[in-house]
Parts: sequence; structure tokens; C-alpha cells
Amino acid sequence: QNLSFQLNYPHESSASFSPNMAEHHTVSECKHKANPNAGGSLSGNGLSGGLTQPAGWQSLLSFTILFLAWLAGFSSRLFAVIRFESIIHEFDPWFNYRSTHHLSTNGFYEFLNWFDERAWYPLGRIVGGTVYPGLMVTAGLIHYLLNLLHVTVHIRDVCVFLAPVFSGLTAISTFLLTRELWNQSAGLLAACFIAIVPGYISRSVAGSFDNEGIAIFALQFTYYLWVKSVKTGSVFWTIGCCLSYFYMVSAWGGYVFIINLIPLHVFVLLLMQRYSRRLYIAYSTFYIVGLVLSMQIPFVGFQPIRTSEHMAAAGVFALLQAYAFLQYLKDRLTKQEFQTLFFLGVSLAAGVVFLTVIYLTYTELGCLYLYSVYAKIHIPIIASVSEHQPTTWVSFFFDLHILVCTFPAGLWFCIKNVNDERVFVALYAISAVYFAGVMVRLMLTLTPVVCMLSAIAFSSVFEHYLGDDTKRENPPAEDSSDEDDKRNSGNLYDKAGKVRKHVSEQDKPEEGLGPNIKSIVTMLMLMLLMMFAVHCTWVTSNAYSSPSVVLASYNHDGSRNILDDFREAYYWLRQNTDEHARVMSWWDYGYQIAGMANRTTLVDNNTWNNSHIALVGKAMSSNESAAYEIMKSLDVDYVLIIFGGVIGYSGDDINKFLWMVRIAEGEHPKDIRESDYFTPQGEFRVDKAGSPTLLNCLMYKMSYYRFGEMQLDFRTPPGFDRTRNAEIGNKDIRLKHLEEAFTSEHWLVRIYRVKKQENRQPLEHKLRSVLAKQKYTSKKKGKKLNKKSV
Amino acid sequence: MQNRGTGFRLPSCLLRLAWLLCAVRADGLVNEEVRRTLDLSTHLAKVSAEVLVANHGASAVQSFTLALESDLAPHLAYIGASVKGDEEEDNSLALKETSIQGRSGTFFQVQLPSALAVGEKLRVKVETVFTHVLHPFPSHITQAEKQLVVFQGNHYLYSPYPTRSQTTRVRLASKTVESYTKLGNPSKNDEVIEYGPFKDVPAFSQDAMKIHYENNSPFLTISSITRTIEVSHWGNIAVEETIDLRHTGAVLKGPFSRYDYQRQADSGISSVKSFKTILPASAQDVYYRDEIGNISTSHLQVLEDSVEVEVRPRFPLFGGWKTHYIIGYNLPSYEYLYTLGDQYALKMRLVDHVYDDQVIDQLTVKLILPEGARNVHLETPYPIVRGPDQLHYTYLDTFGRPVLVATKKNLVEHHIQDMVVHYTFNKILMMQEPLLVVGAFYILFFTVIVYVRLDFSITKDPAAEVRMKVASITEQVLTLVNKRLGLYRHMDDAVNRYKQSRDSGTLNSARKTLEAEHRALTNDITALQARLKAEGSDLAEKVGEVQKLDGQVKDLVCQSCQESERLVAGKVKKETYITSEKTLAGKRQELIARIDGLLDAL
Repeated sequence: QNLSFQLNYPHESSASFSPNMAEHHTVSECKHKANPNAGGSLSGNGLSGGLTQPAGWQSLLSFTILFLAWLAGFSSRLFAVIRFESIIHEFDPWFNYRSTHHLSTNGFYEFLNWFDERAWYPLGRIVGGTVYPGLMVTAGLIHYLLNLLHVTVHIRDVCVFLAPVFSGLTAISTFLLTRELWNQSAGLLAACFIAIVPGYISRSVAGSFDNEGIAIFALQFTYYLWVKSVKTGSVFWTIGCCLSYFYMVSAWGGYVFIINLIPLHVFVLLLMQRYSRRLYIAYSTFYIVGLVLSMQIPFVGFQPIRTSEHMAAAGVFALLQAYAFLQYLKDRLTKQEFQTLFFLGVSLAAGVVFLTVIYLTYTELGCLYLYSVYAKIHIPIIASVSEHQPTTWVSFFFDLHILVCTFPAGLWFCIKNVNDERVFVALYAISAVYFAGVMVRLMLTLTPVVCMLSAIAFSSVFEHYLGDDTKRENPPAEDSSDEDDKRNSGNLYDKAGKVRKHVSEQDKPEEGLGPNIKSIVTMLMLMLLMMFAVHCTWVTSNAYSSPSVVLASYNHDGSRNILDDFREAYYWLRQNTDEHARVMSWWDYGYQIAGMANRTTLVDNNTWNNSHIALVGKAMSSNESAAYEIMKSLDVDYVLIIFGGVIGYSGDDINKFLWMVRIAEGEHPKDIRESDYFTPQGEFRVDKAGSPTLLNCLMYKMSYYRFGEMQLDFRTPPGFDRTRNAEIGNKDIRLKHLEEAFTSEHWLVRIYRVKKQENRQPLEHKLRSVLAKQKYTSKKKGKKLNKKSV
Repeated sequence: MQNRGTGFRLPSCLLRLAWLLCAVRADGLVNEEVRRTLDLSTHLAKVSAEVLVANHGASAVQSFTLALESDLAPHLAYIGASVKGDEEEDNSLALKETSIQGRSGTFFQVQLPSALAVGEKLRVKVETVFTHVLHPFPSHITQAEKQLVVFQGNHYLYSPYPTRSQTTRVRLASKTVESYTKLGNPSKNDEVIEYGPFKDVPAFSQDAMKIHYENNSPFLTISSITRTIEVSHWGNIAVEETIDLRHTGAVLKGPFSRYDYQRQADSGISSVKSFKTILPASAQDVYYRDEIGNISTSHLQVLEDSVEVEVRPRFPLFGGWKTHYIIGYNLPSYEYLYTLGDQYALKMRLVDHVYDDQVIDQLTVKLILPEGARNVHLETPYPIVRGPDQLHYTYLDTFGRPVLVATKKNLVEHHIQDMVVHYTFNKILMMQEPLLVVGAFYILFFTVIVYVRLDFSITKDPAAEVRMKVASITEQVLTLVNKRLGLYRHMDDAVNRYKQSRDSGTLNSARKTLEAEHRALTNDITALQARLKAEGSDLAEKVGEVQKLDGQVKDLVCQSCQESERLVAGKVKKETYITSEKTLAGKRQELIARIDGLLDAL
């Protein structure tokens, strides 16, 4: 049968296979929609001539495109690995890596019970109960499975490559979600977008072993399953959605976004009179099962029924039950009875909702204010993190490029042809835009929806303009009537895919456009996409692929110097200090010290105890003898600081110093005043004009110890700080209670040893010093108690 | 000094002399001339002695005894004796540890190549290396200070035989010497101190030698090294060394100042910045890393007969500081693996070069042989402690690779020697790994095939089933209709051929077959239409319409056929035929287009 068929149309069978990818999407897509019941399309023309089973081709194409998207996404995340090595990046990933390592060596239960005495000395940290374990469990599980199969991969490599691998899964779940929302071709475009968009790459390059890397996958997949369950109303899909939600809860604190967006969706659907039994089944199941599952994560615990950010879900659940009950009664009662009951019910429900809203606003309504509220509580600490700054317009364009311009079009398409799930994506888009505006970090939640909506926009445009391209590729017709027929059939063939009616309406104006305009538009679109791809690669390569643990500088001839000072110093700590030595540093480096140096730290990036951080800040900003008292009380053995003055590294501790002062001032306003560190003109200067408090504080002394003798080049005086472009003001620094223990090759990391007290000192001031110490500790305790009761 | 020394010994000397007489009587050997050299220029004490042994006894001797002082013996890393032949440079001799009653120290019995006849002399070279015998003094120094060490030894050769004449020459690391024992008024010349000659030294005589001098050579010690050699029969030998390195010189006291270290040349002079490791010439893919990643400060230089790695630890090593790293590389197996049938032999260095004058406190060698290796037999150049064998699992292993574990303490450069591992391996087992991969993929694809082909759903959806049934029927209809349209084209061809050949027989037969096939197809389609109707699909009507249109098409085809017959018969003129043919074709096109339209609607 096939043979004869092909013989019949040999000249047409190979006609429309051009190498253009986008065209393939459209064509195959159309076919799919065209023959939902036919199973195969057999018209006189078109590509089906050579394809005996279009469905097979179509799935092969989709599979190939998804696979390529995965591959492209994976490989574009490998810049750092290729340029440097397979290494964990930045700060938080080091903690994740360390806990994953602990998990893989000691087992899951040991991990859950892990009390980390190496952090927050002397408090320690219950790691199992204060982390989202999803990331570690995922990596540990993969490692375990691989080892079970005797694939002896080091846990570090699993951690490094986890995020790129999950980016492929994200692409697939984005494809699935977009397919549910629009159609398959848009889904494939969305998968390609999300695979390479910088907004997502920024959090998922190889080595960036962070919660977000897997959480975006869980987010997208949960949304896909939610849309699916709303569409089908089947408990099966809803349970799938709950499991995926559970995974998300275990992976990232951003699960709050889901548990607010889904109720919002349900609420808006109710407002739009789109209540259906499917919705009822989906949400009721989701809320109950999801709630129970989310409470299984130790870190989340009872939060879902206690805190305000989860209340919207509960409120909507109650509302939905009430609504469903009314619907049920509607069938049973007469109209008159129902009306009275309806008014009663509505007023009651309104009252409940009103009270809920009042309650929620009173307790600072969850999701919308979640992050900003969080920021308000811990102001100096949160504000000191660069990724918590509000987003600039530039970074929108930088992270999303052309997508940021096209996604409103996609949103418009969705709203214009609205249905249940498109309501969802509209809400998703709007809320994500809001969050992204609040905080740079949350650009991440915006990225997937922007990709989906842009894909919808691009896909629609291509459907309109490329559809005719295929027609133009057909041999030009001989007779006018003949051509008409052919075009008709061709159109039917090509355009039947559009479920939406407006396509046939738009057919006419399109015919007026002529091939030139169509090809111009197509070319323009393709150029935009090309530029997008170029931009993505450029941004990934230049902005997001630095491990930040290893720095690189380039010589004039293009050769590269690696500045490995961080690891040099951390490794020195690891090898040449006592195993239980306590290292004081600013909290930024806590995780790295714990991960790379394996030493006890006082504060780290977890930042859960503000007063402890403030104490460290106070030690750094006091003069040496006051700092020595604090360090003695905290049993500090070593102090580690980052100093960039020699090589001009701007992220060093002197530049962060004002934050230390501010945080210390927040807790110890009597001892530390920010104004003391400024010149009378209100400037922060390290040179001679700087304030004496600054020039004599511990941080300054440690940073510039013996730096005054150092002449970097002949044009500058000795003690010239390259980062701040100033000659330092205090060149004759003597340390009494500290001594230099180690300084890395480029002076980037300096470690000081806190000297033990000399023998005779306690004898001389015996009474006084003991008294002071007692006073001090009691004061601290009192403060802590106060803090807690507040 | 000398007097005091002998005076001190006098009481015991008599006793010893008596015993000595016995000893001499036993084998009658005498050290005629001894030239000792103590090389203390590194952190090792390399003591070599050239001894002219003479047999003054009554009978020929087969062996003689070497002795080591009891306070040096525990530090002995290497001892070797060789005969200085006339032509062959070195003829090393076999050593066996023995003991001599009533004497402290360690003794080795040296087997001579040939019996030493009475009155004959033999020049023997004895080489010993001691580790950790140079003690830093003071033991803690600051960064600016220089490192001073003390060596305590023996002025004489410790020997069970009396010595006629001997000299001792000590080579130091620098000219600066704090103090040294002045037995026999030694001469000091730059870095060399020469003692002796001492005449007629009795057997087992000891005299404390103490030298305190400056030694800034790197006091590096490998506190432990684990050397893992993984043999693959696919052409690769992977070697990985995990090394714990420690600076065992004077411990750094007080601060480490990077400024001084960078600006002053003699600051931290005893510290170690880098050293060179020499790898085999065929080493590839060299990596140098530790727990927190690649150590980016190394350099690799490929020389003609070796690969030289400049190993630079992350930080300079001062006294008391330690570091830990991993260095690994791949070697092609054809250079080290020998085979004869199922017999394999691996000949590799038991321990390799890490740095010059290396000291290894603890060596662990792990030899991972291919999965399925049997009858493993290890030959080592020197005795080594074998641990229990282990199993190692890595890529595509099922029952594990045998691992030989061997350990040894206190090794120096002289221990860089080859070992040989013999084992048998059935070559069929080579196929195991590819077959595993093939099998895994086979199972994967098979599962996918089964999953796609079979219906695993536990519920049946009647609507979907009907839809699928209708879909399959419509597909059949579509193929049939297309086939039917194809028939018309065939007919056209037949007509055209007929027009040229004017053979009415073929035309008739073609027409007949067309009719027959057409009827069959139409019947089929009607049957399908009936089935569609039975399924309750409204597509049946459309199929009916297609049937109707098709009937018209068929009429047209027949008509054109007749026309052509008439043309051939000459009943119509060519022009009229062409016009009528055109109209017929037009009509046909129109009808076919409508059929296509309907089909698309399906």
C-alpha cells in the first residue's frame, strides 16, 4: 500500500522538507491538530506523501527538538567547567555540597539528625531541621543510584552537573505546560527558550548547586500537572500534582508561590463564573493532600496551617466548598428557595471572606508581601545582600532579552482566547512580574512564564506567516481555477490545525499581504531569535559563568592568570590549623570556610541569628582591645578577612564594612555608631582624611597590616589601595593581640591568629577581668531573652 | 676528647676484645681499609662506606656481616652492598638480617658472590640511607631565621670486624657549622669535614659524633602515600597517588608575613615553594588536585624521556605545615603489560618519584586488576607487607575487580624499583562489558516497545475507543480512495499509450482490470461506510458523498476512454477531441478537488 502510494505522488513527496526548524514545528503541529480523528492526513499535496505516519514523524521531531534543547541547555551551562574546572561555585552551593556530602557518607537519617557543631559557634545548627532537603536528597539519590550501578562518580561531580541536567527537565516540563496552554509548536519554542534564557541560566550553571536549580523544574512541573488536573478533573493528575508540589516544598522556600498562585487561580475562576466539577475535584484534592505532604518536611512543619502566607489557600478551599454546596443545592431546590438561600449563603461567604481578608491583612498578607516583610524584619542583613536589591530595567533586558518585549503579546493572545488554564498563565505572569520587580533574585520565577508566553507569541506569528511560506514553495499553479482549488485545499490542509476560528478570518487579510511582507516578517522574527540566541550565549559566557571561588585575570597577550587565593587560604586553614579551631569572619564566607576549610565558623550565610552576626560585626568595627574581649568571649582562634587592595578586587571586606557597622549598630547602638566611621563631610574614606575610628578599627588594621610598606608599582606611593584608589591613612599598624597567620599570594585572604593571653595578665587584673566577663555574659543572655520574647 | 672516649670504654674493652678474638677466629675477616662518606647535605643521612675486606682466617668465607648502631638502626630506610668488580661497575649482593648475641644493633649477613679464600681481599661498597636522623635545633624558628640541624652518629664504622685504617668524610649542606665533634683533629673545608685516618679500631667500637650545622634544604616528608594502579585491558593503566606531605624541619614560630616572604629573598629560606615530580614519559592526562578542586599553580613539562610536573602546593610549606594532594595520570598499557596466551604480567614501579631525595613514611600500594583476573602472584624487589585482598567495583563491573594491597614503611629513592604482577585472565571476559551495555540498551528499547504497543490502562473509555475505531476506518477509507484515484491515473496512462500504439486489446484489458479493481475498491469503501454508520459517526455521510463524486469521476474517465477510442478509430477530429478532452479533464480536476476537500474534512 505504501509503495503504490508513494509511486503515485513521487514528485510531491519530498517537496516541503526544508531545513527550517520553525517551519517544521508549524507544519507538524498543524497536522497534529488537523487529524485528531483521522490519524493520518492524506491530501493531494503536502509532505505526508513521504511520511506514511505523520504522527510518528511528529513525535520524532518533537523528541529531537526537546533532546536538542536539553543538549543546548546543558552545554551552554558548562562554560565554567570548561574554563576552570568542575567546582562548586559561590557561597550557598558550598553549604549544599557539604550537606550532600554528609548525606552521601552518613545516610539519610543521619542527615536529618545532623547537628552541625561547626557552624554558629557556640550555638551550632540543626541542619536537618533547617534546610530544604530536596536538593541534597536528589543529588544523594542520584549518587547512590549511580554507585549502585557501579558508576563511580564523585559526589562533587553529581552536585556540579545536577543543575544543568535539571535544566533539561525544566525544558521538558515547560514544553508540557505550554502544550497544555496553547499547542505543541509553542511548547517546543518555549522549551528552546527556557533552555538557554539567561534569567534561568544565572541560577543553574554547572557548579551552581543551589535550590533554585531543581526548584524551577518542580515549579513548572507542578503547574503542568495542575493545569492538567483542572483540564481533566481527574484525581490521578491531581495526586501527581501534589507529589510534584511536595518535591517543590522539599526543594525551595519558593513553594509559597505555588500555594498562593493556585488558590488565586481557583478564586479568579470562581469570579469568572468558570466553576466546574473538575475544578472542585482538582483543588479539593490538591489542597488537602498537598497540605499534608508539605507538612512532612521538617523545616516547613506546621507552617502551612499557622502562617499567614498559607492562609489564602485555606480561605479559597473554604470558599470553594461553600460554592460547591450552593451549586448542589441549586439542583435540589426550587428557584424561590434557592434565591433566599443564595443570598444567605453569599452574605455568609462574603462575611467569611471579608474576615479572612481582614485577618490576612492584619497579619501582613502572605505571598505578596512575603519577601518584603522578610526583608523588613532583618533589614540590614537582608538589604546587604546584593540579590535582594530591586530589579533594574536593564537587568530585565539583560536576563530575558527579546522575550521581555514579546511576552505581553503572548499574554494578550492568552487573554483574548481565554479558557481555564490561560487564566492561570495570565495570573502567573502578572504575579511573577510583580515579584521580579521587587527583588532581583525573583527574576527566576518570572523567566519560565516569560518563555512560555513569548513562545506563544512567536508561535502564533510563525503560524500566520510561515504557513503561507509552505504554500509558496509549492509549484506555482497553471490555471487560476486550479490554483484556487489548490490553495483552498492547501489552506485547509495547513490551516485546519487552528482550532481557533479567527484564523480563517485572518486568511483574507493575509492574502492581501503578499509574499514579500510575509517573508520580511519571517526573516525579522528569525533574526530576532538569532540575536536572542547570541545574546544568551554571550551573557552566559560573560556574566554567569564565573565560579567566584577562582578568579581569572587576563594579560595583554590574552594569556590567563588564575588567582586561586581563596582556595589557597582555605586549604591552609584546613591543613594547618587545629581541627577544632574557630574562625571568625564576616558571614559571607561562613559556608566557604565550612566547606573548603572544614573549620568551625561563628556566622555563616544562613544568617538566622542577627545578634550573633552583629557581635561579629561589632568585633570587626571596634578597636583592637575591645575586639579582643569579644573574640575571647567567643573563643576565636583565627580571624579571616578578604582584602582586595593589592589586586583591585572590589568585593572585599572594607567595601562591605559599612554593612558590618550598620548591623552591629542595630544591636549595639551604644558602642557602635555608623557616623563615627564617616568623615565630617559624610564620606567613607580610608586615606588620611578618614575618620580616626575607622583608621583604628580591627577590620582596617587587619586589612592594611604591613600594607603601608608595600609599593605596588612606581607610580603610586607605598600603601596605595587599588580598590579604593587611595593611599591608606594609617601605615604604621601594630597588632597587639593578633598576629598574621597566613596571607594568600595576592593578599586576597588574610588570616590572623588570636594570641592566647599571656600568663601574667590574669594575675594583675584578676578581680576586674573576671567581673567584667561575668557582667558581659549576663548582659548578652539578657539580651537574647529579650529578643526571643519579642 | 679522644682520650676520654677510650678511657670511658676501657673496662668493657677487654671483654669485647676477648669476644672479638673468637669472632675473628670464626671467620677471620678484617676491614683493611675503610672509607666512609656521610652525606648530610639534604634531609637524609646517606652513609656509604667502601670497605676492603680481607680474610685472615683459616678457611674461605662465604659471607660477612654488616652492622648498624642501635640508635640509627630504626631510621634505616635502605641498605645495600655491592662488590666493586674490575669491569662491571656494581655487583649488588644479597642481604639477610641476622643477629649477633650480646651485641646491640642490627646486623645483616651479606652473601658473597664467590667464596673469599684465605688471604684474599675484596672491595665492598656498602650504602645506607637513614631518614629522620637530622633533628632541627632549635626546633622552632621564626620566618627570618635559618634552619639549623643536629646530626648524631658514630665516628667509626660500626663493624663486627676490627678495622686497620679508616677515614670519615662528612658533606654538609652549607659552610655554616655551629659545632662539631673534633675527634682526631678533623679538617674542615667549606662544606666538608674530614675525620681520620683512624688506625686499628677494634670491632664494635662507637664514638659519638655530633654536628650542628645550617641546613636549609627542603625537609619534606611524605607522611603517607597511597598509590593506586588500575589496569584495564582496554589499553590503559591509570595511576593515582594520594599524598600527605609535611615539612618536618624546624617548626615556624610566630607570624607568617607574606610581605617579607615576597620582598626578602632569604625570608623563609627553609620553606618549600615547589618541587618537581618526574612521571613516566608516556604519562597522559595528568591531574593534580585535592579535596577542594584543581590546584591551579602547577606546570607540566613534557621532556624526551619523562614528564616533569612542577608541583606547587597551594601555599608554601613552612616547618610543621602540611598539605595533601592527589596526582594522577594515565599510561598506555602496552608499555607495561606483557601477555602470553592467558598469562599476563604487569611490570611497573612499586613506588615512583615524587621529589628528589624523597622520604616516604608509609606507602600503600593498591593494584586493581581487571575483573576476572585469577592466580595473582606479586613479585616485589624488596620485602613488603601484603594486606588482605579486596574487591573494587567500578564502571560495568559485576563481581568486582581483585585488588592487591601492600604496605611498607620508610622508603627512599632507592626503593623506586619495578615489581611484577603475574595473573591469568580469560580473554573471553573482555566481551562481558560490551555485552552488558548491549544488553542494557536491548532491555531499554524492548521495554519501550512493549510499553508503546500494549495498553496498560485499567479503565476503558468507550468514547475514545469509538474515536480510535472511526479514525482507523477513516484512514482505511482515505487510502482506498487515494488508491482509486491512482487507478484513474493508470487509466490515463493506458489511454495515452493506446493513443500511440493503437492497440485496442491492451486498452480493453486495462479497462477491464480497472473496472474490476474499481469495483472491488468501491465495494470495500461501501463496506467501510457501513461500518462507520454502525459506529454512529457522521463521517459516513461524507464518505457517501465521496462515493457519489467518485462515480462521476469514473464516468468521466470512461468517457475520456471512449473519446480516445473514437479518436483512434477516426470518428472524431483531433481538435474536437482535444477540446472535449480538456473539458473532461477540467471537470475531473474539479471533482477530484472536491473529493480532496471532503477527504481533508475527514
